[in-house]
Amino acid sequence: MTPSRAAFTTILAKDLRAELRTLQSLPAMALFATTTFVIFRFGLDRTSLSGSLASGVLWGTLLFAALLGVNRLFVAEREEGGFDAIRLAPIDRSALFAAKAAALFAYLVVLELVVVPVFAVFFLDSAAPLAPLAAVLLLADLGIAATGTLISSMAVHSRARDLLGPLVLLPLVVPLMIAATGASEPLLAMGGPAYERFGTWLAVLSLYDLIFLLLGWAVFDFLLED
Amino acid sequence: MYGKGLRPLSIATVVAIAAALSLTFFYAPLDADQGFIQKIFYLHVPLAIVALCGFVAGGVFAILHLRSGERRWDAYSYVAIHMSVIFGVAVLVTGSIWAKASWGHWWVWDEPTLVSFLIVFLMYATYYPFRYAIEDPERQARYASVFAVTAGAFVPLNFMAVRLAESLVHPRVFATTSGGLPGSMMLTFLVSLLAMGLLWLTLVKLELTAKSASGQLKRLRRAIDAPLPGGGSRIAPEVS
Amino acid sequence: MDFLPLAAPALPLDEAGKYVAGAYVVFLVLVLIYVAIMAAKLQRIERELKELAGFAENRANGEIAAPGRGSEEPSISDSLAPRGAEEAASDV
Repeated sequence: MTPSRAAFTTILAKDLRAELRTLQSLPAMALFATTTFVIFRFGLDRTSLSGSLASGVLWGTLLFAALLGVNRLFVAEREEGGFDAIRLAPIDRSALFAAKAAALFAYLVVLELVVVPVFAVFFLDSAAPLAPLAAVLLLADLGIAATGTLISSMAVHSRARDLLGPLVLLPLVVPLMIAATGASEPLLAMGGPAYERFGTWLAVLSLYDLIFLLLGWAVFDFLLED
Repeated sequence: MYGKGLRPLSIATVVAIAAALSLTFFYAPLDADQGFIQKIFYLHVPLAIVALCGFVAGGVFAILHLRSGERRWDAYSYVAIHMSVIFGVAVLVTGSIWAKASWGHWWVWDEPTLVSFLIVFLMYATYYPFRYAIEDPERQARYASVFAVTAGAFVPLNFMAVRLAESLVHPRVFATTSGGLPGSMMLTFLVSLLAMGLLWLTLVKLELTAKSASGQLKRLRRAIDAPLPGGGSRIAPEVS
Repeated sequence: MDFLPLAAPALPLDEAGKYVAGAYVVFLVLVLIYVAIMAAKLQRIERELKELAGFAENRANGEIAAPGRGSEEPSISDSLAPRGAEEAASDV
């Protein structure tokens, strides 16, 4: 195993273990999402959702819950000198990017494993859309993981870090959200899942993921220079 | 020396703008469908194209900055993005005026290019709070460059996604230029595009000159050991 | 022309004229605002340059100060120079 690969595994394992032990972000994100669903129930005055409304509520909520997780991603590195450690180690610094993105991806998947069934129970009539929805969710999670890691690694060094991360990240994920909701809307339609332009949207999601994963990998070296 | 070509450049800009305005109002024929309203496009579309090119230029300068480490590329990147954001304001306002004149609403979601531009504008508008929240000047420059590159990659993706999302029910309201424009309109459009491009270049050069002068002042101040002026603790990109 | 027909017919010339004029006015105003901001920057640079020139002149004059030379403020070195002692002696 190359040093970079080893570093990747170590950092990823450390992050996941830390989260499991302290449970800092995940329960908060899940609770946040669930309460937001309740707010939507009353705000929209509806007890069941379908089509574009369902898609909008689900993705909006997931996105804002994800922002909570993104903010906390590099805090430990910042406070405990993790950045310096990576800088000094003779490894590919992009390993840190890969590890952190993988960790964020993992958090998002776990979050959705909890939150999406809750959404289905609250608002949907059947569980049929959930299987194809999983594909959309996974691809979108990759995109949020890539961009979230990139932006968070910079925001953590700034003054208003909790504000700056979401501020910059939100416009950046608009294309991702357009594609995700575009794919989800027909899936959540009244009469059962439809696959209108499903392939197109999945292609857009994949393109987004590819571009930003590569970009993050390429520029991360410059971020860690000092 | 940034001020060097500024005079001939600004003269060229004035000539081009005068030509563009003359062509727009005295030469270009009246559009059959939209009437006089269509004249707004000789302003709105060139501004948009120049702004988008400016954002791309900002990204290119950012890449050069990251690779070479020379701070002047960062200053170029900053000024390019800065100017394009200002041009972006003009794009959105003129676009809104056109929407009001055509549809009766100050904003329409049906025009994918305008909507994409809004999202791009919102993205680049975060450049300032992002940049100025990072205190260390060298780090600020580096992160700003990463932002500029990321945002540059985002622009085409965004246009694509918005265009795909456009509902098939609403027809495209403005078929962008190239397709089937009569020669006289095309000429007017191209001259307007040239004029806006020159304007962008002139203002960018002007801003860089001002920055350079400020930078030289700082240098002079340091050299003769004069006390620092009060106020303005914000770390801004420098040209020296 | 490949313009798709709009929902509403084209506005009459005088109404349309207002919108077109408005658009061009907005553009002009933005450019002028920018010029004004640049003017302010230029003023600041001019002011600082003036201040620095004055400072540099003062220092240059102060360092080569001789008895009876103008009304410059004495620099720190003056108080240690023999001139100070002479002045003190002549005051007595």
